[in-house]
Amino acid sequence: MTAAQRTCALWCPDWPVVAARRLDPALVDTPVVVVDKGARGKVVVSASAEARAEGVAVGLRVREAEARCAGLVVLEADDATDARAFELVVRAVEQLVPRLVLERPGQLSFPTRGPSRYFGGDDALAARIVACVRELDVVDVRAGIADGTFAAGLAARTAHESWRERGRDAVVVPAGETTAFLAPWPVTVLAGSVDAAHGGGHDLVDLLARLGLRTLGAFAELPPAAVLGRFGPPGALAHRLACGEVEHEPIATVPPDELLEAIELDPPATRVDEAAFAAKMLADRLLARLDALGLSCARVIVEAETEHGEHLSRTWRHEGALTPSALVARVRWQLDAWLLTASTTGSVTAGISRLVLAPDDLGPAVGRQLGFWGGDPAAADRAGRALARVQGMLGPDAVVTARDGGGRTPVERIRWVPWGEPRDEVVALPPWPGAVPGPAPARVFDPPVPAELVDAAGAPVAVSGRGEPSAPPAGLRCAALPDGGGPLVAWSGPWAHDLRWWDARRRRALWQVVVEGGPDGAGVGCLVVLERGRTAVEAVYD
Amino acid sequence: MVAIAHLPRLPRRDDEARAHLHEVARGAAPVVLARDRAVPLAGELGELVPDGTVARGSVLRVTGRPGAGATTIGFELAAAVTALGEWAAAVDVDATLGPLAAADVGVALERFAVVRRVPPARWATVVAALLDGVSLVLAEVPRGVALGDARRLEARARERESVLVVAETRGAVWPGSALYTLHAASSAWDDQGAGVLDGILGARRLRVEVEGRGAAARPRIGELARAG
Repeated sequence: MTAAQRTCALWCPDWPVVAARRLDPALVDTPVVVVDKGARGKVVVSASAEARAEGVAVGLRVREAEARCAGLVVLEADDATDARAFELVVRAVEQLVPRLVLERPGQLSFPTRGPSRYFGGDDALAARIVACVRELDVVDVRAGIADGTFAAGLAARTAHESWRERGRDAVVVPAGETTAFLAPWPVTVLAGSVDAAHGGGHDLVDLLARLGLRTLGAFAELPPAAVLGRFGPPGALAHRLACGEVEHEPIATVPPDELLEAIELDPPATRVDEAAFAAKMLADRLLARLDALGLSCARVIVEAETEHGEHLSRTWRHEGALTPSALVARVRWQLDAWLLTASTTGSVTAGISRLVLAPDDLGPAVGRQLGFWGGDPAAADRAGRALARVQGMLGPDAVVTARDGGGRTPVERIRWVPWGEPRDEVVALPPWPGAVPGPAPARVFDPPVPAELVDAAGAPVAVSGRGEPSAPPAGLRCAALPDGGGPLVAWSGPWAHDLRWWDARRRRALWQVVVEGGPDGAGVGCLVVLERGRTAVEAVYD
Repeated sequence: MVAIAHLPRLPRRDDEARAHLHEVARGAAPVVLARDRAVPLAGELGELVPDGTVARGSVLRVTGRPGAGATTIGFELAAAVTALGEWAAAVDVDATLGPLAAADVGVALERFAVVRRVPPARWATVVAALLDGVSLVLAEVPRGVALGDARRLEARARERESVLVVAETRGAVWPGSALYTLHAASSAWDDQGAGVLDGILGARRLRVEVEGRGAAARPRIGELARAG
């Protein structure tokens, strides 16, 4: 068994709140929570000290949090903003120590062997790092140094808890004492790491607690072979963490040199979505190659070169194996941070011309299971590849899937989601008063096609402010209709919509009409919209 | 070693048992007939087309004037594919497809990709790329598709066992051949009385004519009733 590398973890607690306050200084000194979608709806993922003082805790539902704390400001979680704000901290720490690894926005780690010799010991290093981050007006920052990332993270948490009593903001666990430091911790601290790598972390720690193994010390005393036999790979990982060992044994096979994936961007990408689209291709290729070799990687190095020859590089770590979507999210955050903070820091002066993804910290691929029920994964793969190729030809926005976003007219209801971006599935839409009745039209014109709705005398039909038509409509002429339109068979409406009732110009009236189109009552169903005195056909029920 | 040397002289009394075993194995083996691999069409559309199925690797033509229901028929074909858990894609030349109507006839929107605003010059390349990956491609035909491109797309569909549905809704003509043509002749909206608040467009009757080669040589005409 290999003892873990001496590591320092730097943690800024409640980073989403800190990032939101940096963006909007008005939020300082008010109770703020950041919420995200959980299994039971929206739950608090991060809360400010003011909110915590009122009894708001992480994991609480939004409604309960609002009930406990009056005047609470609720913000949606946005990882990209957090990552962008954290980039400043990363840059400051980067000036002092090399080989930074970002765990997530708000937390990073680095090996301390070299830096602590340079700065005169672990204590001096931790104090130096904390002081350096404090200079950036980040008040709450903690450092922990121990053997291994897991123990260092726990040490940083200890620093947090003992801060108010003893004023310590760094905890250094002396070399060789990590096992003793870990022993009193409850087994529940293992849940997150096991969850990320294998899933089922909470079930595992529940089971351990019911078996009477309540602390990491008690769990670590079990023989490793027995733990593997009883709990499988997740148990073995938890056991290694509890013993203060590395998360996985270094692999015996030497990985091929050229595992990195690179792409030249011509013209250089100046927008995040352009670069992220290229990164998605790289990530898919990289993970497919690792897959073929039976490897998974826990860290990935994102490198970019700009047109002016600037070289940027960052390492991201993920507990457990990186999946394509997790990898793309990290690359996107990083590109976002580089490109959008460019104006303030001056580190990037041109578009990104080359993007490289290099895997690091390779381990054997374990614990992946293809879906058993529900869809043919090979078919989904095949479709994904074909659609990605079309995206490559026509641009990422050309290939879309649709979703019902709610609204009154067909154009308002359709939301196009570019292929590969997350579809926020809406389970049930609230009712929309005033929505156009009847079936959805198969042809929707955006912008609507100009048309003429006329009465029996041939004069255009107008709709008054009260929604009364000037005359019953009798004919519709429009270029989108066969033979340019014709007399009406039937009509209904008008339905008046006040888009903004305080703004008289934003009113519209909608008609459903059937234009004569053949024998025995056949006709063309159309949705006609009248807005600002202009008539147009918005949809044809083809 | 001794046992193997004596094997030919072992009594073969179990021949009968073996024959029985073979018979059972043949009965239990998954036999996939062309009929079973075809995409079944549900409802009245299924009664109109030969065998009630669409053979994989075939090309279908959907025609009809705007408003006669050709787009709805195309969506119904796509729905038959997504109902099997497979993928469908649409090539939307001028970005006018209304996906909510597709959802109304049963298309699973998360497995229905739409490629919007395809330049006519790249139309054939895009359709060919889609045929590689999805089970059904619903493609509107732009003007000026070359016969050679049409032939290549037919071959590609046959080779990849995907269904290509070409929709002649823009007035353009598909120069290639098709297994059969679904022609939306007309669509009648059941009169609900003018001016009611529920709208005039409710239940609908689509008149469809099917004509083609082979089993579909005799034209069939039918009506599809669609509730509002």
